[in-house]
Amino acid sequence: MLPGPFKRFKPFKSFRQLKRVGFLSGLNGLNGLNKLKHYQSRRETSMRENQRNLSFIDLDAGWKLALDPENLFWSVIPKEDGRFLLPEGLIDLYKREKRHLDEEMYNFRFNEPLNCIYIDPTDRCNANCPYCYIPSDIRKGGTQMTGEQLDTVMQKIIEYFRDFKKKPVIVFHAAEPLLVKDIIFDAIRRYHRRLLFGIQTNALLLQKEDIEFIKKYRVGVGISLDAPEVDINNRSRTTTRRNGNYEKAVQAIEWFNGYEGLNVISTVTKYNVHHLADHVKFLHKKKVPVVLLNPVRVTQKPALRLKPDERVFARSLIDAVETAMRLTRESGRQIVVGNFANVILAIVSPTARRMMCDISPCGGGRTFLTITANGDMLPCGEFTGFREFSGGNIFKTSIEKAMRSKPFRAVRARMVEKIEECNTCDYRHICGSPCPAEMYGRGNMYRKAEFCEFYKEIIKYAFKCLAEGKIKYLLRKDAMDQMVFEYRY
Amino acid sequence: MSRVKATKVEKKGNSREKAGIVSFHLRCAKTANGLTHFVMYGDVPRKKMPL
Repeated sequence: MLPGPFKRFKPFKSFRQLKRVGFLSGLNGLNGLNKLKHYQSRRETSMRENQRNLSFIDLDAGWKLALDPENLFWSVIPKEDGRFLLPEGLIDLYKREKRHLDEEMYNFRFNEPLNCIYIDPTDRCNANCPYCYIPSDIRKGGTQMTGEQLDTVMQKIIEYFRDFKKKPVIVFHAAEPLLVKDIIFDAIRRYHRRLLFGIQTNALLLQKEDIEFIKKYRVGVGISLDAPEVDINNRSRTTTRRNGNYEKAVQAIEWFNGYEGLNVISTVTKYNVHHLADHVKFLHKKKVPVVLLNPVRVTQKPALRLKPDERVFARSLIDAVETAMRLTRESGRQIVVGNFANVILAIVSPTARRMMCDISPCGGGRTFLTITANGDMLPCGEFTGFREFSGGNIFKTSIEKAMRSKPFRAVRARMVEKIEECNTCDYRHICGSPCPAEMYGRGNMYRKAEFCEFYKEIIKYAFKCLAEGKIKYLLRKDAMDQMVFEYRY
Repeated sequence: MSRVKATKVEKKGNSREKAGIVSFHLRCAKTANGLTHFVMYGDVPRKKMPL
């Protein structure tokens, strides 16, 4: 686990310091972090405490944001009589909460335990999406787990989590897990009392009786659908027979009929970027409770040519969120844009985030890991094309050893403090500068996020939504039921 | 600082929509923090729902 005993997080003083403590030298992240903590505790304690302050950012002509980027204390301040006034009471609140927020952020970044395992029970896929992060040669001729092998994996997972209070989540994921439907359904049947399950699928092999099974065992299910129209969807969600998954995915969504564990995952590319609001309308009609409108990851080269313009994407996502709020208000039935909800959570309740890509270090090799069909343990499925990131094979070693392995430590060591521009960006702990695998694929893991400008626009919009009291339309209702106010002004 | 159920305060908050400065912080009381980025915003409830 990263790192050992709890200590208060002190912000890094400069990029040069990181270099001096050996923090930038390849795969020695854990060692470097300990050294860094020691260094900071000696040199920086009082100085940084006294110097750190709030940043002030213009959201638009009418709103200003006060933000401590290190711990995400925030306040949106309206213009009154032509001026922005920061009351004494707010500063007192900041001083009072600062220590607690520092600790919370530190723990979330460095002491959160492993809680989710992705299992790719097959490398093969019946689709051929142009942006897939799994190289095509692996998808065409890769291996598949046997039932016995999957059972071994499940036993090792249960052993690892034996003393954990919370049930871990097991997600059957890419390539297409339903190619080995029998063995994964069997695993769910056998282990559903001890583990929580999810399946991510293109729905091509989903049958009506499978829906009954998924509902019966309360399995979370994600269906891939990129657009509300067949022609647009099938350009990116292509099958190996050169059709697309539109018909099957829509049929499956209808079969699920508003199931609470359903979400639709849409990868946003230049093909569908102008259709996000229509997509939300379409899915709301089909009673889908959550849709993710995720930026395409450009980990593999062919995906790069599909990257949408960032500002166009930001405008389109905002339009989609506005549409979702309007539909929720008018109909009384919610549709949540999951990735935007995650940004809202990052601001109002950072530790309640559900997507662990937009925190730094990301959740890869920290709060989740991926087990591929041949048993390799990777920090994240996004590293499937880069087997040098394997932390060992689960059939030969343990999850504990993988978590301590050099590749896993290297991914955990990639932090915004070490990325130029991110290290001074006020939003660094809201976007988290994803993603290490994507940037590694582009040649340098320490490059800033591919969608940096997009995130900035979206985060500003998120603060405006909070200022306007729209949070109740943006998070799932049961998410709000599970939260308490720690302070409010 | 008092710990108040978010939903109750949210109702009060409706009348404050344009009241001025907004700042608050929530704690996730029930779900595992950052449990997964797949089962979104609350695990699938264990109780069955009608098909």
